[in-house]
Amino acid sequence: MLRQSFRAELQQLDQELIRMGALVEEQIRRSVKSLTERNVTLAVQVIDDDDRVDAMEIDIERRCLTLLALQQPLAGDLRIVSTILKIITDLERMADHASDIAKVTVRLEQEPLVKPLVDIPEMARLSSSMVRLALNAYIHRSLEEAVTMIRLDDDVDHLYSRIFDDLQQLMRERPDTVLQATHLLFVANYIERVADHATNLGEWVIYMVTGERKELND
Amino acid sequence: MNSPPDLIVDRLSVAYRDQWVLQEISLTVPSGRVMAVIGPSGCGKSTFLRTVNRLVDRMPGVHLKGQIHVGSVEAIGDDVDLVGLRRMVGMVFQQPNPFPFSVFDNVAYGPRLEGVKNSSRLRAVVEHSLKQASLWDEVRGKLRRPASSLSGGQQQRLCIARALAVSPQVLLMDEPTAALDPSSTAKIEELILALKGEYTIILVTHNLQQAARVSDLIAFFRDGRLIEVGSTRDVFTAPKREETEEFLTGRYE
Repeated sequence: MLRQSFRAELQQLDQELIRMGALVEEQIRRSVKSLTERNVTLAVQVIDDDDRVDAMEIDIERRCLTLLALQQPLAGDLRIVSTILKIITDLERMADHASDIAKVTVRLEQEPLVKPLVDIPEMARLSSSMVRLALNAYIHRSLEEAVTMIRLDDDVDHLYSRIFDDLQQLMRERPDTVLQATHLLFVANYIERVADHATNLGEWVIYMVTGERKELND
Repeated sequence: MNSPPDLIVDRLSVAYRDQWVLQEISLTVPSGRVMAVIGPSGCGKSTFLRTVNRLVDRMPGVHLKGQIHVGSVEAIGDDVDLVGLRRMVGMVFQQPNPFPFSVFDNVAYGPRLEGVKNSSRLRAVVEHSLKQASLWDEVRGKLRRPASSLSGGQQQRLCIARALAVSPQVLLMDEPTAALDPSSTAKIEELILALKGEYTIILVTHNLQQAARVSDLIAFFRDGRLIEVGSTRDVFTAPKREETEEFLTGRYE
């Protein structure tokens, strides 16, 4: 009987986690959109919505702690609850980075872009799909899906170093772009961090399924 | 203080009439460690504990196979000195079972049986044992009172003191806190942690959180078989066997 209510609560937590993950994905997507489209209104919305992510994190965390205190889960159940606790921390950090990107949009305001943004949106698309794939792996309790999604981090890293080189070259050639290019470099770095957090999600899923902690983020 | 012995169980089987209640149990409790034995009711964990100090085989129809090594002493065999074995292997039961004597006489019982007559020597043993059982401060002025005047938790610690008074090296505890309230339970658990190192301890418990708090090793029994044995951390966070997982997550019916 007790276990049934535990399962029911876990199912609800899964749904909340998916909801939080979807919101974080949306935040990443919208933050980069605000930058490419120079949409300050959208950027401000992203910054405001960060509070919603924070509130979701606190709510899920509280429910996990209640489960730990009242049900005292062990083995696989313990790994599920601790995985949720770790995942929401990573998700919250990702949302912070989306908010950081939106702040760059606000700072640059209407200043024309020094170059068309191609790799940054691609990097963002990859990173946010990593988030979705990691949460799918979580829901399916799938080791294979987790391992596969973690590999995408290499593509993100590759794009990041390309952006890094491009922007450096631009700054050397046109010193007047240094301010904006530095901001864009930060944006690329934020997205790279998002992908690292998504990799963490995958690693937590691997832990949840196998009981083994593996660092695949090198 | 010499370190206590390893306890090595080697292919132990116990049959009652024609039914095997324990089959081919092999495990080692290293010197000074606490092993918690867990498993569903009827899995054989209490039988296992009672076999270690040979409480089971006086029943008619019981048949033992295999061996239990307590250090250099072999616990199974017709020529085993049972009194010597039980002096070495103390036992604490689920219900506190003090003798209907005073607090002092309960603890002095074993040493007296062993022939200790010198009263200052007896007092020293009683005081030392009560201190080891974390009971001394609560009973030092009440040693002549009947043991039955103590609370349930104090009685259980008195039973532990009584077991310790004959200087055993191994302690067997069969659900020692099942009948106690949370604060008495906490005291017994603290006590187990304090005794660890000086004694090799096997604890049978239904309380998984207790096993998690006090044990170094977990042995999971089911249907008279040892399913899994490992460090408490490993077994409780990532058991290797599906049966263990089912039990720990409450899916075993």
